[in-house]
Amino acid sequence: MTSTLLQVESLAKTYPLPGGGRHTAAEDINFTLQPGGALGIVGESGSGKTTVARMLVGLTTPDTGLITVDGRAREPRTPRRRPARLTRAREIQMVFQDPYVSLDPRLTADQCLRSALRLHGRAESLAATLLDQVGLGEREAGARPRHLSGGQRQRLAIARALAVDPRILVLDEAVAALDVSIQAQILRLLDDIRRDTGVALVFVSHDLAVVQHVTDEVLVMRRGRTVEQGPTRRVLTEPSDPYTRLLLASVPGEGWDPADAVAARAALSV
Amino acid sequence: MTTLALRPVATGRRTRRRPVGVLLATAALVLVVLAAALAPLLAPYAPDAIDLSASLAGTSGDHLLGTDSSGQDLLSRVLFGARTSLIAPLLLLTVAALLGVTLGVLSAWRGGWVDTLVSRLTDVMYAFPGLLFTVLIIAVFGTGTTTSVLALGLAFTPTVARYTRSLALSEVRKPYVDAYRVQGMGGTRICALHLVPNLGRAVLGYLVVLFGEALMSLATLSYLGFGAQPPSSDWGLMVQEGQSAVVQGALLPALVPGTAIALVVVSVNVAGVWAADRLGSQD
Repeated sequence: MTSTLLQVESLAKTYPLPGGGRHTAAEDINFTLQPGGALGIVGESGSGKTTVARMLVGLTTPDTGLITVDGRAREPRTPRRRPARLTRAREIQMVFQDPYVSLDPRLTADQCLRSALRLHGRAESLAATLLDQVGLGEREAGARPRHLSGGQRQRLAIARALAVDPRILVLDEAVAALDVSIQAQILRLLDDIRRDTGVALVFVSHDLAVVQHVTDEVLVMRRGRTVEQGPTRRVLTEPSDPYTRLLLASVPGEGWDPADAVAARAALSV
Repeated sequence: MTTLALRPVATGRRTRRRPVGVLLATAALVLVVLAAALAPLLAPYAPDAIDLSASLAGTSGDHLLGTDSSGQDLLSRVLFGARTSLIAPLLLLTVAALLGVTLGVLSAWRGGWVDTLVSRLTDVMYAFPGLLFTVLIIAVFGTGTTTSVLALGLAFTPTVARYTRSLALSEVRKPYVDAYRVQGMGGTRICALHLVPNLGRAVLGYLVVLFGEALMSLATLSYLGFGAQPPSSDWGLMVQEGQSAVVQGALLPALVPGTAIALVVVSVNVAGVWAADRLGSQD
């Protein structure tokens, strides 16, 4: 029997609208994640998937709901005390969408990792191991982000998250800003890391093809609500919800016609 | 057949060549700094050596720039005066930078009532003419170079705070700051070790531009008798001491320190704006 690593119960977040009323970014989100598992959260822009990711790491405070890691509930707000903050950080780490702005422009790759290692009281010599683990060499170690390519930056961002030695890694559209061949490399890297370190992944993406490759389970979101969830293979091959079918129909492939996808989208919006 | 006129394409980096004005200004500043540093070696007389027999002497072999009404050698005084005139604005800007950057970053980081409080506070200080505010402080704490540096430091704080706040507001929204938060790093540490250093260049550029204004303000205070006191050879004070000589037909006692002030302020502005552009534009 495996114990549940991450449990999310009835998570919700609304934002006030300028003209009064509230916009529901996420409502009644529930899922669980086993140690070393991989969950995909998919949906189109504005579906609330990034809000869920930010609530998981504590960058956004949920209105209601409970996030439990290893049976311990996470405080909704960042704790003031340093030990509590660091313990919380070791539960869940995040890789951001755009590696062009998610790295401190002033620090070299090596300094970036050392800063994270030092903060968590880990040996700074691990920086070299981490760089090696994500496939960055000596030249990249001494380079500032502006001298690294997009793929290299995202590798560094992944290494920085791993430097904290987290149980769970949340990837918010982590490959969306990269071109396709680099995407494949990063996805492969994530798969390797998951196998080697046993870190569990929460993969937030709009790209079903990407989710299909990395995740075991998937949760489809639309307008802040879950429309379908289950094993990735089943959801992607026999979707039960019309929205999921639409998302699948929108993936470009052989014999794909954008007009069909647009028409299907229009039919669903009514 | 099409002919393509090939012109050198502008590369991302701007040309490194300095305009002539900037070169001249830099040279002038280097000279002034050297003069200040080497004043004891260069000055023919002690700056406060009084020789009443040579009162208001014009230029001569003995006194290259003439003397003032007390017979003090103007060249010696202006050389020694360069020291206070360069160091005092630096100290003033240090005070303003420490307070202003702290307030600006605090304001942007915390937001909410802290931001409102800091913003209203700077508004109130803006509402007073800067000089009035400074004179108020001097009235309470007494005249002197130290007091005027501190008073003007406070007067310059709102400007620096406001500028820093506007920069910090866009900086705190950048995901790398979120990444530090997710790492479990505390707010103070993020601000002090990562946010401020990332704003550093831009703030530094702004301070360079403020240097001329700081020097002018200090000279004004000395001129009004609130700053440096006799027998200091502060430039502003020298202008004030020299203006009675103008009536007697001797222009040099006011003209020499006045020219020195103008030279430094113009040079700092010309070279400073050029340097600040480059400081700010490199990411």
